[in-house]
Amino acid sequence: MSIIEISNLTKYYGKSRGIIDVSLNVEEGEIFGFIGPNGAGKSTTIRLLLSLIHPTSGSARVFGKDVTAHGPEIRKDIGYLPSEVYYYEGMKVIDLLKYSASFYDCDCTQRMKELSEIMELEMNRRISDLSYGNKKKVGIVQGLLHSPRLLFLDEPTAGLDPLMQHKFFDLIRLENKRGVTVFFSSHILGEVQRLCNRVGIIREGKIAEISDIRTLQKNNYKKVRVTAEGLDAAAFDLPGISNLTVDDGTLHFFFKGDINAVLQKISGIQVTDVTIEEPTLEEIFMHYYE
Amino acid sequence: MNIFLRELKANFKSLIIWSVIVILLIFMAVTKFSAFASDPETAKMLDSMPQPLLKALNMHAFNLTTVEGFYGIMFIYFALMAAIAAAMWGSDMISKEERDKTVEFSLVLPVSRSRVITAKALAALVNCVAFVLITWGVSLVAVQSYNPGKTFYDFLTLEMLSMFLLELIFLALGLLLGCAMKQYKLAGSTAVGIILVTYFMSIISSMQENLDFLKYFTPFKYYDAGELFRKNSLDGGFLLLTAVIILVCLAGSYWIYNKRDLYI
Repeated sequence: MSIIEISNLTKYYGKSRGIIDVSLNVEEGEIFGFIGPNGAGKSTTIRLLLSLIHPTSGSARVFGKDVTAHGPEIRKDIGYLPSEVYYYEGMKVIDLLKYSASFYDCDCTQRMKELSEIMELEMNRRISDLSYGNKKKVGIVQGLLHSPRLLFLDEPTAGLDPLMQHKFFDLIRLENKRGVTVFFSSHILGEVQRLCNRVGIIREGKIAEISDIRTLQKNNYKKVRVTAEGLDAAAFDLPGISNLTVDDGTLHFFFKGDINAVLQKISGIQVTDVTIEEPTLEEIFMHYYE
Repeated sequence: MNIFLRELKANFKSLIIWSVIVILLIFMAVTKFSAFASDPETAKMLDSMPQPLLKALNMHAFNLTTVEGFYGIMFIYFALMAAIAAAMWGSDMISKEERDKTVEFSLVLPVSRSRVITAKALAALVNCVAFVLITWGVSLVAVQSYNPGKTFYDFLTLEMLSMFLLELIFLALGLLLGCAMKQYKLAGSTAVGIILVTYFMSIISSMQENLDFLKYFTPFKYYDAGELFRKNSLDGGFLLLTAVIILVCLAGSYWIYNKRDLYI
């Protein structure tokens, strides 16, 4: 059974677009990356799944239950780290965490201690005195303290220093090993590449591609660079070649298709250097956005 | 229970501030009253004032030189304060979550929106009850030196009951505005605006005979101090109207808040 099943989900805010006809499934135990630039509809999708907002059409199920009808029940097993965290300003960190814990049927004290030690959280400070990064840390502890089965992370690393980011990723990996499913939204591809098994790419509210992260890198494109004297760019005008540029006697291009066709072309000329490599996710991603 | 307690704590300061204001009002008023208590000159002077003015200030119904008459005049000030406080509590408890952007925390917790409204409404209700009890208690203490009789105590009970019912009306209205308004920042000021408009409506309807029908549109007329004093009881029809308004506002609050998108 899929943990998240989204089918033809559409959301308009009045006339402005949120997301259009989004369908995707997230399986139990995976880390699903959700990539797109700002305003593509990542947060809208997550907020729909949390029933903070209601769909214009289509439906979504989490743990097999409809999100609109069973919101509170579903949210018992969900942890959420929003892109910007806001808590009751007057409360102390410890009181806020205890308040949050009081809504779940568990004794979360132990877990709360562990997490705040890992994240080096000062429990006795007031929320209003905390910096952005420290608020984010509170968010991480608050989102994890009830040991949820499903985690929504919406651009989680913003505001965290590199050391904390590292700790945070380790924490997420550990949770994932325990069987926690993670829905990871981000516009930073490096972190998605490090963490996720599968990715969905969203663009202007629509899903552009859903694929295994390795398939996306391997099967789709090769990044080729050829250096040779007297190079004729026109000779490489093959089907499947894109982004062809010549730069100081070096040819750069992406190729999709049977790599032998390129190799034959290359073997016909006297080259000084050739590299064929997998493009980074960054480069694939740019391709989807052009 | 946890939401209820947190709201009580978060709104305790506001209750204290309102209580201090009403206590000051009572003591200042009672000090003024000492000047014309049982003074026939004051009564004569008041009688010579123009009728419309007396009507507007609801002074024609009372003998200002007695403590019950004095409390009859005072009622509208208590009522206005109670109404504003209740409406602010009602609207603010709901709308502040969106204003402070805490909805993304508080409504991702495993709670239904109905449960959130219920808990917050109950917390506001506790504040309202406390506010009435404080006004009542302090009044009893403040007028002790005038040895008030049974008439005063009966009338004060009736006034405080009326004050509470007005609070309930405007609390429910505040909740509705907090739940329904897209311009959530304006929920509180809209509530206060409605209170002031209905208050002026109540003045106009007592000055102009042909605008008498306005009394159905302003809760301040349901609990008019002069009428309360004359009849020594609450009006059944207006009680029913009060119940209807409260129920409609509450039903609307739950319905809209469950249905709508949260503004994030």
